[in-house]
Amino acid sequence: MMKEQVIITKVNIKLQGERKHFQIKLPKDTKYIIGVEYGGRLLTKSDGPVVQPAPKEAPKVEAIQDVLVHLVATSSGKESRTLFKRNQLIGELKLQSCEEANWFYAADVFANDANLDYADYSKSGFPINDFTHGNKKTEEIVKVDAESTIIQGWYLDALGKSQKMDIQYEVTVYVWINVEE
Amino acid sequence: MLKAVKKRFDIKITQANSTVSDTFELEKNIVKVHGVLVTSDKDDLLYYRGTQKIEINKEEFFPDNYESKLLMSGINVTPKQRYYDIGGVAPGNGRVQLTYKDLDDGRTVFTPYRVSLYLDCEMEDEL
Repeated sequence: MMKEQVIITKVNIKLQGERKHFQIKLPKDTKYIIGVEYGGRLLTKSDGPVVQPAPKEAPKVEAIQDVLVHLVATSSGKESRTLFKRNQLIGELKLQSCEEANWFYAADVFANDANLDYADYSKSGFPINDFTHGNKKTEEIVKVDAESTIIQGWYLDALGKSQKMDIQYEVTVYVWINVEE
Repeated sequence: MLKAVKKRFDIKITQANSTVSDTFELEKNIVKVHGVLVTSDKDDLLYYRGTQKIEINKEEFFPDNYESKLLMSGINVTPKQRYYDIGGVAPGNGRVQLTYKDLDDGRTVFTPYRVSLYLDCEMEDEL
């Protein structure tokens, strides 16, 4: 019988632009790698605005006006400034199995979704944050043989580089596997 | 007859960077556990600081350091889909162990909070 398990690996980043190679060891009875997801934690306090959760602020009239301006401009076919915000890129994560050539997983690691409040025209008093309005997290599905039981990992920092300072944080890589019982 | 029931178990986190473990018991007439969900009265602290291990019948479903944010669902998720599906597990001895670890995160300031573990179960109406 097959059973699902998750292997958790932490990658610590201390320097801006830091590049890390790491290995993930899988149990010997692993049959397949079936999914990958990531998380993370900020270890040092940062004054940068990007890694802070969205501020809890009262609704503003200007915000509603912004939306209206955007809607009017869009419907009239004119190009306008967009309210769509860029997500903060934290880094790049890549994983390679020893079985096959090339990466089997490559992802841009992003911080919170900066556009959770996009198209919320109410702008009501309930502040929108990842922890209140976030979607359910699920792993990204992959299917890779896991006979060699080692995964090579590579991570490149982008957060420290973009902020031009050393930010200490931890990226957690979750590798879901199928294990034969 | 089988019916769906939701169970809730709470633990209190009173100190920063501490680990709190508790074991809860399910009723004998619960035959399956379908889903898991964690919430808190201060959901930002749970989201940024929390990790947990969850065992049912001594079988580990989520290992140490599994982040709580991965088991949370916001109000944008439809109520019927909020639970993390673990696929109809037999509860065995009915013991559910939650080991929760609070860890500092640069984005939050600690204040005591509650962590709630919800289980989506299937129960036999009569024993």
